[in-house]
Amino acid sequence: MGRFIIRRLFQMVFVMFAVSVLTFFIFNVIPNGDPAVRMAGKNPTETQIEAIRKEWGFDDNLIVQYVTMMKKVFTGDLVSYFTQLPVGEEIIKGLPRTLSLAIGAAILWMFVAICFGLYSAMRAGKFADRFLTIVALIGISLPVFWIGALMNYYLGYKAGLFPNGGYVELTKDPVDWAYHLILPWTALAILFIGFYSRVLRSNILDTINEDYVRTARAKGLSERQVMVRHVLRNSMIPIVTLWGLDFGAVVGGGAILTETVFDLQGVGQYAAEAVGQLDVPPVLATTLFAAFFIVLLNAIVDIVYAYLDPRIRLQ
Amino acid sequence: MGMLGRRALVLLVAALSMLVIAACGGDDDSSSGSSGSSGGTKEGGSITISQTSQPDYLDPALSYTVNGWEPLSTVYSGLIGYKRANGQAGSELIPVLAQDMPKVSSDGTTYELTLRKGLKYSDGSPVKASDFEHSIQRVLNLESGGSAFFLGIKGAEDYVKNGKPEADIPGIETDDATGKITITLNGPDGTFSNVLAMPFATLVKGDAPFKNLTKDPPPGVGQYKITQSVPNRQFVMEKNKNWPTDIPDDPPAKIDKITTLIVKNAQKQAQDVISGKLDYMQDPPPADIKPEVKAKYSDRYREVVTASTYYMFMNTRVPPFDDPKVREAVNWGIDKPGLARLFAGEVTPGCSFLPPGMPGYDENLDTSGCPWGDPNKPPDLEKARQMIKDAGVDGMDVTVYGNNDDPTDKVTEAYADMLNKMGFNAKPKILDGGVYFQTIGNQKTKAQTGFANWFQDFPHPKNFMFLVDGASIQETNNQNFGNVDDPEITKGIAELNKEPEITSEVADKWKDLNNKLVERAWIVPYGHRKLATFFSERMDFDNCSNFSPVWNNDYTSWCLK
Amino acid sequence: MATEPATETTLQGPAAWEAEAEREHVHGLGPWRLGLRRLKRNKVALLFGALFVVLVLSCIAAPLWADKVAKTTVNANHLSDTITVDGKEKNVVGLDGVPIGPQWLKADGKFFLGADRNGRDIMVRLLYGGRNSLVIGVVAALITTALSIFLGLISGYFRGPTDTVIRALLDVMWSFPVIILGVALGVAFALGGLKIGPLHLAGDSLLIPIFIIGFVYVPYMARPVRGQVLSLREKEFVEAARAQGAGPFRIMFTEVMPNLASTVIVFFTLLIANAILLESALSFLGAGVQPPNPSWGTMIDEGVDRIATAPHLTIVPGLMLVLTVLALNVFGDGVRDALDPRAKVRLER
Repeated sequence: MGRFIIRRLFQMVFVMFAVSVLTFFIFNVIPNGDPAVRMAGKNPTETQIEAIRKEWGFDDNLIVQYVTMMKKVFTGDLVSYFTQLPVGEEIIKGLPRTLSLAIGAAILWMFVAICFGLYSAMRAGKFADRFLTIVALIGISLPVFWIGALMNYYLGYKAGLFPNGGYVELTKDPVDWAYHLILPWTALAILFIGFYSRVLRSNILDTINEDYVRTARAKGLSERQVMVRHVLRNSMIPIVTLWGLDFGAVVGGGAILTETVFDLQGVGQYAAEAVGQLDVPPVLATTLFAAFFIVLLNAIVDIVYAYLDPRIRLQ
Repeated sequence: MGMLGRRALVLLVAALSMLVIAACGGDDDSSSGSSGSSGGTKEGGSITISQTSQPDYLDPALSYTVNGWEPLSTVYSGLIGYKRANGQAGSELIPVLAQDMPKVSSDGTTYELTLRKGLKYSDGSPVKASDFEHSIQRVLNLESGGSAFFLGIKGAEDYVKNGKPEADIPGIETDDATGKITITLNGPDGTFSNVLAMPFATLVKGDAPFKNLTKDPPPGVGQYKITQSVPNRQFVMEKNKNWPTDIPDDPPAKIDKITTLIVKNAQKQAQDVISGKLDYMQDPPPADIKPEVKAKYSDRYREVVTASTYYMFMNTRVPPFDDPKVREAVNWGIDKPGLARLFAGEVTPGCSFLPPGMPGYDENLDTSGCPWGDPNKPPDLEKARQMIKDAGVDGMDVTVYGNNDDPTDKVTEAYADMLNKMGFNAKPKILDGGVYFQTIGNQKTKAQTGFANWFQDFPHPKNFMFLVDGASIQETNNQNFGNVDDPEITKGIAELNKEPEITSEVADKWKDLNNKLVERAWIVPYGHRKLATFFSERMDFDNCSNFSPVWNNDYTSWCLK
Repeated sequence: MATEPATETTLQGPAAWEAEAEREHVHGLGPWRLGLRRLKRNKVALLFGALFVVLVLSCIAAPLWADKVAKTTVNANHLSDTITVDGKEKNVVGLDGVPIGPQWLKADGKFFLGADRNGRDIMVRLLYGGRNSLVIGVVAALITTALSIFLGLISGYFRGPTDTVIRALLDVMWSFPVIILGVALGVAFALGGLKIGPLHLAGDSLLIPIFIIGFVYVPYMARPVRGQVLSLREKEFVEAARAQGAGPFRIMFTEVMPNLASTVIVFFTLLIANAILLESALSFLGAGVQPPNPSWGTMIDEGVDRIATAPHLTIVPGLMLVLTVLALNVFGDGVRDALDPRAKVRLER
């Protein structure tokens, strides 16, 4: 087990390294204008542009530039080309917001998906099942920025039921915090609810026909006990795995659209703004941040899986 | 523990970590502005206002945007400033930290000023004459966008090349004992008094470090002081108790505390001003909310024409616009009232390059006197099409440059479509606002035509005409996007800039240059921007809301009802 | 026991179909005909499949509507124009910039669904935009599929170092934050175009979003394909081919690949749906289809800023997008149930 974990950690480091190299080189190879000229702002002189070029080392070869940039990532000295504000601080400022959104939405989608999936499976083939199937497929088909914008305007502003976007810290007012996040949570969760309830339904239907379930029924356990103790428990394993992966993916970029629509100013929105301006340092940092969450959750899921199923360790 | 049990544990951990994470850090962005108001009085109270994005810098040496200058003009003052007054009166230069307006030598190269006595920074330390040189050193040394304005000071070029922050600038002599400041220029510059009134030339303490101080703005001399600055979240300005009350035309502020939140969504800002969660939004309310605002809240909404011009540049070095006939044709064929609709009525159609309120502005050009037909009427498309056919360039490919700011992208698409109707094969190319002007200002881009606009830095015609000055063409970071180089205009600008004062005679000469520019179809001006201001119900809109032609809304004039 | 006979009839969902497959197999029906029979029985899936075909056909007919009904072109602005509705003259775009709403047939089919801020006919743009969205979806899905089959095949068949390298590559691709990367590439290429050797793409070429989206989903499909190849290469018919002296590539493409067909077909429909969604997200963030070309994503992006005064700008393209993706998802779901009920297809991100 220990060796497996170590191998998995090495893999993590390798992937992160590859992501950083690729991101860096992509943005230095493709044409996007001279960063020194862009940083110099309105009507600069040639001397200024030269000075910036020297200070930032834009004349060095790419490998040296990459090393300089990565050093700055680790020492926290990385600053935006445009605003000269430290990138690390901006990410830390956005992190509670992104995590508030992602964690809340993850809990919401898991909870609702279990209810939907269970009910759907128990009524398999009946009207309720078909109805929920269609609802789930609609959920999968809704672009989050579209439904989010509609919700924000019609439910938030027009009807006045919810705040029209924005964020309040949890420490300041937990109720207001949740109140501000209800719409974003819902918008983000819709897609996953649709998907998870479908997966759970088919897992349950698979499990129902397993021998041990029949045995449990034969033992005279009530349908409810069978469902919860045997069927649901075993159908949940792949779902929890997915949950881990998706949580990583949402923190690592999936929340961009939701944050932008609801103006939550988390890490995702920061990334979206930096990317629009091709501001390389924040793009690199947010990409690494995102990749880190994706890779980390992947590793955790793998390790937990290996713990549950020793065969995997040998692969 | 079974699977469900383990899952419950995961949930618990998740919930706990959420509590912990959300508890540490982050800043509020929805606090309401309803604290501490004392009701019917005109003094005091605190308000919450919003900006759409973090101002470029909260450092007077670096900031070069309206978003930065509007607040900073109340926090930092220079030797010279502008009269705090509503409308056109606000473009009058007055001595602020100096006792009098500068004494200019007869050759126009030496400026002499004396500091007022007993001035203090917001932290209580005394203001010294040498702080002025330090402030200019910061501008030059920090590679500020404003440094170009100060390179005319004797020895400034060498100071920049030298790169040593503490080195002396020979053209600035100061005496802390008497408060005397003498500035020597390389040659006469009629705009220099205006330059001294720019935020770049405002005073900061002599020990302000040579770096971007946005996170901890240095103390200044102003009606307000910045007491908190969290970039991209908010900054707080509080009344500066050390502001002298005896400066004529620059009185103390009335509101005690102004909290500026960064709210990226303009729609939300307008909605919050309507509901009173915010008291003012720095950007105009978005077009989408305007009909509602105009219908229901017109008593706290206002539109003012600003000293600005929106125009299309045509690159005179690149076909087809190297042909004057083609440029004329575009001037005939552009649908100015149509473009104004894209600005939701916030642009007044016109064809003068110099904007209203500027010395040399000719109202006639913006109405019936426009050589290309009345700007408020539909264009003469037929004529334009014929001229383009005659020039033999119909069907030619044209790339139209624009950026993704709202509504510039739509304006660019509409302009491309207008060129198509004139007979070209035009396609828009939309770039991010952050890289747009650098891209088209690079000669290698060979941008054929596209969107451009200018808001005045100071009320002097040179501040507009340099955009079409043949002498200002550069390889990169060119601001003369069309490479306009009319010998007569270029010569005229150089000569008029030597005039120390804009007398009515000088203004007439600027007017003449402006007329030539428009008649010779070097560019396509299509209107001047109106700026909409929207306040909450708590603000005393009728009595306390000065609009300065230089700084836009004047925070120091505001009061609560 | 009372429950014993019940279990036979409580077989549901995929398991039931497998049981059915076993029974049918006895009657000599091949898996393909069986799948088709099941699909035919799934009326809902067929209905949505038909809906998708209708949507595609109407988008193909876009020029017809533009020419004959709306009498305009996709990019023609009508900023200062007026139309006559019920004998009254109306501005296409108001002086305050608010465009006209849906006119249905009141103006002889002009501005059937209203105008956008530039006075362009929304119905015309919707149909042309659909073409762009669909072309991007289908071509990107084709690229993903081709790459995934190729990578999955050589990785699963050769194993060893080849496999290690490809799996590392897929890991890296998987870990890239899709939207950040997509937007970053989109913005960069829109600025400067794309030059790969002799191939030069202009910044507004549709191929740019197509390539970006085509690459993004590769790991999602290549991994399951690889898994399948791993097990297929051990099957008897592969052994037999090998014994007859067939080379590895011949075995891969003639023996192994045909057996991937059902997985590929299931993936393909769902890939199109997801590619269309991703395209709309990229366009929403300004990095997909470049103006003035419309796509449903860019249309929504243009619309949300005017949701109060002109809600049709947001709602119309959004509904069209949802309808198309839903049709593909329902149909794809039916195809999966029919061909490969246990397939764990997963693309959403």
